[in-house]
Amino acid sequence: MTDRQQFIAGVSESLGRSVPVAPESIDETAFFESSSDAESRAKEITQDSTSRSDELLESLKVSATKNGWNIHSVGDSESAIGVIQDICDSKDVRSVLTSDHEALNQLNVSTALSLPEGSTIRSTDRELHENSVEDSKEEAFTADLGITGVDYGIAETGTVVIHPKNKVSRLVSLAPPVHIAVITKGQVLESLDELFAMERNDFHKGDLAGSMNLISGPSKTADIEGTTVTGIHGPLEVHLLILE
Amino acid sequence: MVEQVAPEVGRSVIEVLDLLGVDVEYVDDQTCCGQPAFNSGFRSEAHPVAARFIDLFEKTTGPIVVPSGSCAAMVRNYYPQLFRGEPDLKSRAESVSERLYEFNEFVAKFFGTSALKGQTARSNTATYHKCCHLLREIKIDEEPIQMLDNVDGLEVVPLERADVCCGFGGSFSVKMADISTAILDEKLDYIKQSGADTVVAADTGCVFQMQGGLRRRGSSVRVVHIAEFLAESAKNAGAGK
Amino acid sequence: MKPVTINFRDKASQTISDDQIQKSLEHVYTGFFKGRLAAASETDNWEALRSKGKAIKDHTIANLDYYLDLLATNVEKAGGKIHFASDAAEARKLIIDLAKEREVKTVIKSKSMVSEEMGLAEAMNDAGFETVETDLGEYIIQLAEETPYHLIAPAVHKSRTEVAKLLDESYQPGSEPPDATELTMMAREQLRDVFRRADMSVTGVNFAVAESGSIALVTNEGNGRMSTSVPRVHVAVMGMEKIVPSIQDLSTMLRILIRSATGQRISTYVTMVNGPRKPDEEEGPEEFHLVVLNNGRDKLLSDVFMREALNCIRCGACLNACPVYRKVGGHAYGWVYPGPIGALVSPVLTGLKDGKNLPNASSLCGACHDACPVKIDIPRMLLELRWRTAEGEKDPKEKSSSITERLVWKSWRIGMMGRKRFDLGARIAGWTLRPFTRNGWISKAPPPVGGWTSSRDFPAVSTRSLKSFVKSMKLGGGK
Repeated sequence: MTDRQQFIAGVSESLGRSVPVAPESIDETAFFESSSDAESRAKEITQDSTSRSDELLESLKVSATKNGWNIHSVGDSESAIGVIQDICDSKDVRSVLTSDHEALNQLNVSTALSLPEGSTIRSTDRELHENSVEDSKEEAFTADLGITGVDYGIAETGTVVIHPKNKVSRLVSLAPPVHIAVITKGQVLESLDELFAMERNDFHKGDLAGSMNLISGPSKTADIEGTTVTGIHGPLEVHLLILE
Repeated sequence: MVEQVAPEVGRSVIEVLDLLGVDVEYVDDQTCCGQPAFNSGFRSEAHPVAARFIDLFEKTTGPIVVPSGSCAAMVRNYYPQLFRGEPDLKSRAESVSERLYEFNEFVAKFFGTSALKGQTARSNTATYHKCCHLLREIKIDEEPIQMLDNVDGLEVVPLERADVCCGFGGSFSVKMADISTAILDEKLDYIKQSGADTVVAADTGCVFQMQGGLRRRGSSVRVVHIAEFLAESAKNAGAGK
Repeated sequence: MKPVTINFRDKASQTISDDQIQKSLEHVYTGFFKGRLAAASETDNWEALRSKGKAIKDHTIANLDYYLDLLATNVEKAGGKIHFASDAAEARKLIIDLAKEREVKTVIKSKSMVSEEMGLAEAMNDAGFETVETDLGEYIIQLAEETPYHLIAPAVHKSRTEVAKLLDESYQPGSEPPDATELTMMAREQLRDVFRRADMSVTGVNFAVAESGSIALVTNEGNGRMSTSVPRVHVAVMGMEKIVPSIQDLSTMLRILIRSATGQRISTYVTMVNGPRKPDEEEGPEEFHLVVLNNGRDKLLSDVFMREALNCIRCGACLNACPVYRKVGGHAYGWVYPGPIGALVSPVLTGLKDGKNLPNASSLCGACHDACPVKIDIPRMLLELRWRTAEGEKDPKEKSSSITERLVWKSWRIGMMGRKRFDLGARIAGWTLRPFTRNGWISKAPPPVGGWTSSRDFPAVSTRSLKSFVKSMKLGGGK
């Protein structure tokens, strides 16, 4: 097994030196920007996101539609539930799995939704128990519908961003064949630049999420004869439920 | 190649420049820029030939016009690599490069693409193939088409995938003949689709590749170097009498 | 995967005459190539992004030791483990030993060219682990026991009928195969069960971030996300060059990678991983391992003229742009990396003598250079490699030109060094070819140029040189 020092020394040697040397700074990478730069940038972005929230939301609707999201815009919780209910009815949904997000929690899906006898509505907002890992997999792989909130939307690319963590699931937005992502106005960032600036700031604060998923539409592939097919390992259908 | 196999191209360049009012000199002792050996990896053979090119041409004054995008690219972009580690020779080459132009580049830059008028002599419809080095190394794209637009009586039609290689690539056309031919076949199919009776291109190698293939197919489509085409059209319009 | 480039010409010829593969290769142009052009034209600052991407990569590679060291520190800080492997054998052993220690039974693999370099899936299956490729294209070729045909679309050469034979037990050869959607749904079902029981995943890495010790994965299907959510052990493998300095750099790199690869603004999923799952999470791997592989890349790194090849972000744009790749397909290149980038990387990584055909399998059209999101000057490096195989410039052992060829160019040079001999040479060539010339054209030339006339006519050598014409020209017409 090559140890770290040996390996790095070999790389240094290939570059004509004996040990790594701190590089001269260049403009093109943010690596040389300070953490206070990162912080002020993040503040700017948050402010901009709020002040231009209408514009950014409209932009997201356009880019998300292009990517194959089904867009639903509602003004209140009741209408939001109405949308979810319609989706459940049309697909004969019997098991629903929800992840823990503020905007979603407020909808009280577990009480507000009415499903056929024997159906289940479960949430990942629960304490860890002995069989958590296996149970959560089982639930996610057998659920008909997964509903999550999001941490950001990205207008440039028609994307929602989720940071899985305690009570916020990785699989709820992946394993069930249908996924509903609930987003509120004010959560939308302009582009990938802003997203990664926010992430970089989180990192400098010691707060970087252990993982992050950018989701930009239903899963797809074009591996057979170059024909695009929607729905392979991830959801076949994705809905963006916008609470305006 | 122009020198010994397609001298009419060289003549045409001189004729066109002459019509534009340019005083044209021909360097008697010239042979080659060295590209064939360089491209095949034989830099030790290319080097003296290239150095000789610089020797000859640095003695001239004024612009140097080359009827080939690939030769112009060789001098401009690849001599620095050939002469790497030889700062003297490299800087002499750079001085020569500064006043070296490919034919279309020269006409477009100093006279504009509408300077030369003409009347089509043999062709009804023409289409333009974008030779790779002219396009990507010398960055001449639509200018030749604009020049063709000035030829009266000629319908210029677009060529699908005009910027895709014809498959010549110098010795590639012989060393990897079946790949070169496969690429050529696709080009010839698109030429047929264009409906043109004439294909205009700016590099003699490409002209040979396409004409050679079309002849073998029994096609009557003519492939001609742009200088030759413009000279012929200008003469047909009564220019130079 | 063992290199087999000595078969290049044969495989190339076979592919050229295979109508079905030629049809499939069209997709590479109409889909991927055109997709990139469309995406580039709708991106206002496309050229600026390319320049930025190039600058980031140039800087990173020039300081690769520093950034790898930093990456290692940060991966461990985030709770992961980093492993360094000098070569493929070491990497395989490392991963197999880990799987044994963790009592792994089922392994799911996401798309990774580096894992192909290692021949990992095969080795793991041989070692007794159920190892399944989960990217649909890779799954198909795993079932077909073949190697990838393209960086992004590994099964691009397979027809629906061939895919049906592999995926559909009930398919009757000779009948109309199911459509792409039906076949895809079959694969979804087959693989879903495998995801469910996977103990370990092996993924690639699109970008590793030195600043934070994170990795980014780009996928469309969801198998990358499954790999980072379901199994208890996640192993990510990367070539040592796949690194960027800062988290922020990802916005530039993802934009140029994805638009160049498929023409999308973004892939369906981008997944960032920063260590294993937290203790209070229900889902996610308990362990995160990053395996950094050299496997000959130091040869490129220490070679000042070839170092630029390490800037590659594996988008496949050069393949899509290459008129040669689009005729000869991926297998002709004989190793993991096809197309223009393959023609550079394979010979250096596997030994130039073996891969001598590859740098010559190019018309030097430059379309690859144009297409590359980080502006890698592939033609310059192909010429560099040609110099080495022709004259053994870097290492005499790499010289593989024949005596005939060397003599041909020697005589060419002699002929070019003076005008008189140049003219004489032309006369001789003219006379030699006269017997073959009819009506100013040659349709059957003698060797060594007979290759030309197998499919094309060649014009006769002129009886007069340009020089002699010039002497008799009357000029002054434009005045």
